[in-house]
Amino acid sequence: MEERELRRLVIKAFHIINVKFSTKTFIDLKSKTLFLDENLLQSLNVDREIIKDARLSIIEKDKRNIFVNSILDFSPIATKVLGNLGEGITHVLTGVCCMLTAVDEEGVQVAEFGSSEGILSEQVVFNRAGTPSDEDIIIHLDVTLKKGLGTIRKGPTEAHKLFDLVIQEVRKSLKKLNGKDCDEKHEYVDKVQVGKKRVVIIKQVAGQGAMYDTLFLPNEPAGFEGGRSVIDIGNVPIILTPNEFRDGALRAMH
Amino acid sequence: MGVGPSTKETTLHHFRDPLLKVVSDDKDIDLVGIMIVGTPQENEDKYFVGKMAARWCEAMRVDGVIISVDGWGNSHVDYANTIEEIGKRGIPVVGLSFIGTQAQFVVKNKYMDTIVDFNKSKEGIETEVVGENNVTEIDAKKALALLKLKMKGER
Repeated sequence: MEERELRRLVIKAFHIINVKFSTKTFIDLKSKTLFLDENLLQSLNVDREIIKDARLSIIEKDKRNIFVNSILDFSPIATKVLGNLGEGITHVLTGVCCMLTAVDEEGVQVAEFGSSEGILSEQVVFNRAGTPSDEDIIIHLDVTLKKGLGTIRKGPTEAHKLFDLVIQEVRKSLKKLNGKDCDEKHEYVDKVQVGKKRVVIIKQVAGQGAMYDTLFLPNEPAGFEGGRSVIDIGNVPIILTPNEFRDGALRAMH
Repeated sequence: MGVGPSTKETTLHHFRDPLLKVVSDDKDIDLVGIMIVGTPQENEDKYFVGKMAARWCEAMRVDGVIISVDGWGNSHVDYANTIEEIGKRGIPVVGLSFIGTQAQFVVKNKYMDTIVDFNKSKEGIETEVVGENNVTEIDAKKALALLKLKMKGER
């Protein structure tokens, strides 16, 4: 049967086995180490009217018996090297995953329909598509919002924005890595399978407002900046190509 | 009611979505795209966007639809309506949702005869454990198998 190729996406994965604080943010491929600037948060532009405090920490795989505030998101570290979302080349780090947690200054968890604060090892089923594996090192951003801002839209949104700014600092280094040095390379083709059954996947996502929002088509894979909110477009259906979707076109905002 | 910790799909989940993987890997399927539809607050808007999604399916001349949702309760109002709008147009549709014991559908219609329940908790509840009640590859394979049967007219 005929196959018609539409576009191609190449995802190159670089494996990381250590994450350490340092004086600047960079990736050393020889030692497979990601270094994070220990003063990273001070250099980022944060709305102090919304965010009271934020802390960045590194959680080793065997150190998950710690208390964490309610988990807003797990995110990959991925960046475009060539082309726009859904085509060209993307670099991604494996062995490391980012986690965003948040609480307000009075101790109210940032959550709406149940919250997930507690001992990290008990509050997550690891090794799922949406959660870190047992082997992953977790980069943890914990945000404290000003009083009462956890349940209105701008609170969680600002926390996600800061989370993305942190990841962007790593993306800058990830972009510069030579693609030839990658550990894995995956090629994905959007194609028309002429004559086969035509199927569409529909994903119904959060868009009720408050802390329920979903962004689509950000500038960077799984990013925040440049993404449009489904609330702002009135929740009407939009179409993404399979490659856009697997290149991080959707960002959960709840 | 909406999206709880155990059912919510994180950004990482979307990035390596098992449903997309299973459907796009199947050589017998021409995956035309991924439609994203939001879940508005107001009932009138819920019906509006659901009908819009169904209209798109009709316009794209698709042979089948798999519709997945990571919320429940109030979100099932939108979900049931969208499925009904698609079903009414004669398009085979299969669903994926968290149901368990806690999230039995608040509204139902005759087109909701093939819904894969991706509850993984023992008690069938929102456990507040992130990732627990999420779609896995096995759930996605079940949904696609059901859709294939439906498209053949065998269900």
